[in-house]
Amino acid sequence: MSHLIIPAVPKAPASCLDLWRQKNDRLVHQARQLARDTSPSLRRQRLAQDILEKFRGLLHTLQGLPAAVPALPLELTVTCNFIILRASLAQGFPEDLTQDIQRSLERVLETQNQLGPKLEQGLKELWNSVLHSSSLLPELLPALHCLASLQAALWLSTDHLGDLALLLQTLNGSQTEASENLLLLLKSWSSPAEMSDAPLTLQNASALRDVVLTAFAYRQGFQELITGNLPSALSSLHEAASGLCPQPMLVQVYTALGTCLRKMGSPQKALLYLTAALKVGTTWAPPLLEASRLYRQLGDTSAELESLKLLAEALSATHNPEAPKLLIEVDLLLPQPDPASPLHCGTQSQAKYLLASRCLQAGRAEEAAEHYLDLLALLLDGSEPRFSPPPSPSGPCMPELFLEAAAALIQAGRPQDALTVCEELLSRTSSLLPKMSWLQENVRKGTRKLPHCPLWVSATHLLQGQAWSQLKAPKEALSEFSQCLELLFQAVPKDKEQGSGSTYEDLYSCSDVALQQLRVAALISRGLEWVSSSQDTKALNDFLLSVQICPGNRDGSVYLLQTLKRLDRKNEATAFWREAQTHLLKEEAAWSVPLYLETYLSWLHPPNCETLLEEFQTSLLESHDL
Amino acid sequence: MAGAASRVHYLTDFCCPLGGPAAGRPRVLCHEPEVFLSTGREFVYVYDQEGGQLTAVFQFPDQVWHLQLLAPRRALYVLCARTGLYCLALDSLSRSLSQASEDKEDEDLPSPVIPVDPDACVLPDATLCAFTVVEDMLITLVQGPTQWKMQLFERPCPGEEPRPEGQIGEVELSTCTPPGGVPGKSAAPCFLPVLCCVLPPGSRALHGQPQGFECFMLEEALFGLLFGADATLLQSAVILCGLPDGQLCCVVLRALVTSRSAPGDPKALVKILHHLEEPVVFIGALRTEPQPEEAAGGLLPGEDVHSDCLVALGHQGRTLAIKASWNNSGNLVPELREYCLPGPVLCAVCDGDGHMYHSTPSDLCVVDLTRNGISWNLEKPDQAIGGLPSTLCPDSLNICSVVTLCVSSRAPTGGTELLALSAKGRLITCSLDLNSEEPGPARMTMANAGQKIKELLLDIGDVSERVSFLKKAVDQRNKALTSLNEAMNVSCALLSRQEGARPISCTTTIAWSRLELRDVLMATCVLENGSSFSLDQGWTLYIKVLTSSSALDLDGAGSTFTYTIPVDRLSPGSRREVTLPLGPSESGVLDLPVTVSCWLFYSLREVVSGALAPSDPLEIPYLEEYPLNLPKQEVVCLPLCKRTVDMLQCLRFPSLASSPAQASCLPGPVREHVETFLETCQAPHSDLAGPASLRAKYLPPSTASIRVSAELLRASLEDGHSGFSLCSATLQWLLAENVAVDVVRASALSSIQGVAPDGTDFHLIVREVAVTDLSPAGPIQAVEIQVESSSLADMCRAHHAIIRRMQTMITEQAAHGSSPPDLRMQYLHQIHANHQALLREVQTLRDQLCTEDEVSSYTAAQKLLQVYKQLRNPSLVLL
Repeated sequence: MSHLIIPAVPKAPASCLDLWRQKNDRLVHQARQLARDTSPSLRRQRLAQDILEKFRGLLHTLQGLPAAVPALPLELTVTCNFIILRASLAQGFPEDLTQDIQRSLERVLETQNQLGPKLEQGLKELWNSVLHSSSLLPELLPALHCLASLQAALWLSTDHLGDLALLLQTLNGSQTEASENLLLLLKSWSSPAEMSDAPLTLQNASALRDVVLTAFAYRQGFQELITGNLPSALSSLHEAASGLCPQPMLVQVYTALGTCLRKMGSPQKALLYLTAALKVGTTWAPPLLEASRLYRQLGDTSAELESLKLLAEALSATHNPEAPKLLIEVDLLLPQPDPASPLHCGTQSQAKYLLASRCLQAGRAEEAAEHYLDLLALLLDGSEPRFSPPPSPSGPCMPELFLEAAAALIQAGRPQDALTVCEELLSRTSSLLPKMSWLQENVRKGTRKLPHCPLWVSATHLLQGQAWSQLKAPKEALSEFSQCLELLFQAVPKDKEQGSGSTYEDLYSCSDVALQQLRVAALISRGLEWVSSSQDTKALNDFLLSVQICPGNRDGSVYLLQTLKRLDRKNEATAFWREAQTHLLKEEAAWSVPLYLETYLSWLHPPNCETLLEEFQTSLLESHDL
Repeated sequence: MAGAASRVHYLTDFCCPLGGPAAGRPRVLCHEPEVFLSTGREFVYVYDQEGGQLTAVFQFPDQVWHLQLLAPRRALYVLCARTGLYCLALDSLSRSLSQASEDKEDEDLPSPVIPVDPDACVLPDATLCAFTVVEDMLITLVQGPTQWKMQLFERPCPGEEPRPEGQIGEVELSTCTPPGGVPGKSAAPCFLPVLCCVLPPGSRALHGQPQGFECFMLEEALFGLLFGADATLLQSAVILCGLPDGQLCCVVLRALVTSRSAPGDPKALVKILHHLEEPVVFIGALRTEPQPEEAAGGLLPGEDVHSDCLVALGHQGRTLAIKASWNNSGNLVPELREYCLPGPVLCAVCDGDGHMYHSTPSDLCVVDLTRNGISWNLEKPDQAIGGLPSTLCPDSLNICSVVTLCVSSRAPTGGTELLALSAKGRLITCSLDLNSEEPGPARMTMANAGQKIKELLLDIGDVSERVSFLKKAVDQRNKALTSLNEAMNVSCALLSRQEGARPISCTTTIAWSRLELRDVLMATCVLENGSSFSLDQGWTLYIKVLTSSSALDLDGAGSTFTYTIPVDRLSPGSRREVTLPLGPSESGVLDLPVTVSCWLFYSLREVVSGALAPSDPLEIPYLEEYPLNLPKQEVVCLPLCKRTVDMLQCLRFPSLASSPAQASCLPGPVREHVETFLETCQAPHSDLAGPASLRAKYLPPSTASIRVSAELLRASLEDGHSGFSLCSATLQWLLAENVAVDVVRASALSSIQGVAPDGTDFHLIVREVAVTDLSPAGPIQAVEIQVESSSLADMCRAHHAIIRRMQTMITEQAAHGSSPPDLRMQYLHQIHANHQALLREVQTLRDQLCTEDEVSSYTAAQKLLQVYKQLRNPSLVLL
């Protein structure tokens, strides 16, 4: 090897081609310099835009001349740089980028004299002709592979996987022709080494290939995770994790691995991945949410609630987003995040709601009450309103949130606070409620017809009654229960209602089951209130009604039997028992009722229901024997 | 509304072409004495009403689409087309402005044009189509390739370092394709979406904002009803959005705050309130009933108006008004009404007193939605608490072509002052005192006389502008009506007389003529106007030439040529002649029969659109954009005539020398002399000889014959052919539409030798025969027509043509009720059975042709030809 390496001496450029090359290299340097400054600012964006425009200008200059072999490597490199910068700035692939690629390929074919009549070829055919062209110069290959990797990225991001597989097969030559496995094809694609004197690129072919590979593995892993193909999801996600992931992506991949392992029944391994995800340390929310699900599955409530608490905190922290790197990165090739995805964490208030409702469901009433009050304050205070949207769509609507808060407060033994929450709800929505003047007028006219009210109004009265009852104020409690019942018997279930202004908020409709259960709950509550003021006949009426409304209701039946027994009306009790036995022995159907109602109904269970029923059974048999 | 007195003041003139559909998104805003104005071009003007002069002109890189002023912060937000959103800090600008004017004191320019600093661009986005600023949030609407996308940002401030990543939320609106494509690539979209913000009652954001413009407060009931309990409980602002496709949708702002990792779910966030089915151009709100506080003791000056009625206006004038009311049982229900106002609506605005002003190219109208409006139902005043008028009666203010409007913040007490920009670029104020009586003639003093005269002159100018526009429109409409009337008369005349001579007729004749060294069969259609109406603009003669499919191509459907010839003023009694070539084509093939049909077409669009579209697009910028409401069938079509050209009409007889036109014609397609020479020079056994000559040489000529009873022929030919033998009469009858018929008649020929269009020989022989074995009553006298040609195709065509004539003749005769002689049924049955068998064979052979390979298909084809030949020479006689 007797070649002398001549150091690059700055000298006058010999030709236009050199000039253009220098311009390209200068622009690449500028872009790299700009990329180092990570703080996002409009100035940076404008500078990047300027560089992009200069690349565009350079490309126009080059493409203004007839395609020529010596200029082709530079032209392709400039095209690649232009596309990379453009996609990075737009944070996606604009549709017309395909035209840039197509134009370049056509110019390559022009130099091969192969274009001729086949001008109307599609991209697929163009790639085929270019890559199968026999007279391609070896120095053209690196730039061509770079362009091919950009094409691969574009096809991946637009879900043209069939085209992508064909392109990769062509690029790899004939060895793996039969393989349809994109992952394998991507792995076996080796781009030719770049020449030391080649014009600079922002991102070379092999780097781009790695990005496409990782992005593909990630996409595939996720898809398989959602469709439930867990083992292959695991391997795809492992592939993605071993690739060149940016840190936020790595957190997602580790979390997805955790989800996958949890579903496969290896919670310990899942926990390891979640810990790893937390250690990456850019975003904590996805692994925390996943951890809460994992602990819930394991039945470890305190760890679950702890994770949710941390999640709410993690979501409250605002972090400054990083500026785009001016390169094509993995996240550019991924589909838009979907709220239905298992990694979607939602907002802070959604996390808070999850925490509060889980506390309530887990029977930690005091904690639940505190969290509900926190959440309401967050939503209503308006100190920093814009970062705290309401928990819907996944969660309940706002009035239900109030009701759940009130239920939690009652359960936590804070009836006074519950009353405050209820009053707040009614006062804030007073404009939506029927005017009081109408109510009064109807009363004056003697018409008992009451206007329809939203269901939550009745529910509020129910909870208010319960709160008063807890405060040992039977008079108030009775009046609230009665008002609740009056409203409830006016309400029309959703499916029976005639269509009225369907585009507007259905203020007055509710589900059938919820309405029925609300009525039962109100009747039993009032009955119990009568019982405690020892007015058993009135109580009996209410219990009887509750059983009539919902024949299988165990609580109502037990209270009815108890009252009948107390009133010493054994025959009626026996008759009822015979009739109700069939209903009662059946498993109670699992209703889906709002959480506040579920909580409320749990209060109504008689403490020793089973023993009571057994007692009846035996006493009945005895009486029968007699 | 007796005295809708208006006084118009002319402020200044922006001598700039505002028109053209591409421009035309002018805006005007008013704050205290300052008026901010964009004319649809790339300038934003600041005009000082007190000083009466322009104080600044800002130049943007592209058309300005929208302006919004955030008054308390003295910040002006400007949406620049295909560029993005700019924010100008007015205070710092006025400082730099005074600086600039000091520097350039010696120059004459009253206000320097300041190019806007690119640093003032706070949100660069080429697809941005609309925005609105609420509190400290910025809501934008961008146009994606398939969807509108609403985005929520922290409001960028002019002084601060802007944060490009300050996006808080995002949701996609509708899935329909926005018209006009992506603005970055194609021309500007015709209509921009409209955004406005609805605040819940009691919020404090409105203070200092220009009232009633893009931001208003709704009363509790309507707010809750429209946007739901969640929005009410959260006391969240709601963004209303009117899209060019007519959708009116809303997004609760607090719910739009989405997590950074995913956009919002449109199903949960976006609620469609209504669909106007035409581009939404304005959304506003009104107070139609006195506010409770007001009723009690007058509204405090600083108090916010809680509007109780939401209005949305479509481009064609369709108007939606929504109010909340209570039904009989006391429930809150929406009251929703649609009205139709005169369109196309250029712009609209609501004032604080329940009036809505909307501008069309011809007028500025005011609509009263309050209870004291004219159409208020006076019979049952106590029927409902709320209520909307059943119809709207717009009152004209006699100002035309206002392209943008706003309510002036310096309104005089007891009235409204509008600030308007006319299509010609005039900024005017319009003071309205809608409730007062017409002011009596005031005493004129010397001091105000000049002012008064100026005002009057301005009024006159405005009225004359309006008059000229209306006059032009009326003229055009009159013209269109006259034209439509004539068209109506013509249509009636043509359609009422289906039989017999029609007032407007079209006759078609055919003749051979020589064109470019080729013999071409020409059809001449003569349109004759025998009616008393003239055919004017809008009428078109439409001729369709339909050739039958080629004999060689079994499945071919034949080709159709259509010719449309505009009938440009055909006065009564005149005629127009159109000559069209029918063939043969370049390859020498003439696929007979050819059908020539003529219609008259009348295009409604051509006539009516002239009247509806403006002649001067600069004058009425928006008129062009609205579609014509023409009926679906935009064309009236009147059939005139139909003529079938068959083989018999195209035969030429060079042997009959007495026809000079034909004698000069060379038979067949033209042949170069050289070609002829070369052909003769060819060796006798050469394969290159044409197939036709080969066939002529080696194959016997194809023949076909038809027998018709002499009685039948005699009966149908009795008139007009007396003195001729039956054979000659028959031949004359067959060639009646041929040019050679005169020669045939003159020489009383009974057989004739001619040339087919493609040059092959052709022989037509008519002779009398006696058919013996058919009738028990003895032989039947019959005429046999024999067709002979060396070309099978020509023979077939001629046979077909003769059969067609026979069919017509027999149907005519059948109508006369002639009775056929007795026939020997046995014999007929036999013939019938024979034919059935032949037809079956044809069917099987044809099937074979389709399925079998080449060799066997060749034999099948041979057989088929044989069978066809038998079929063509039946032993039957037409009786």
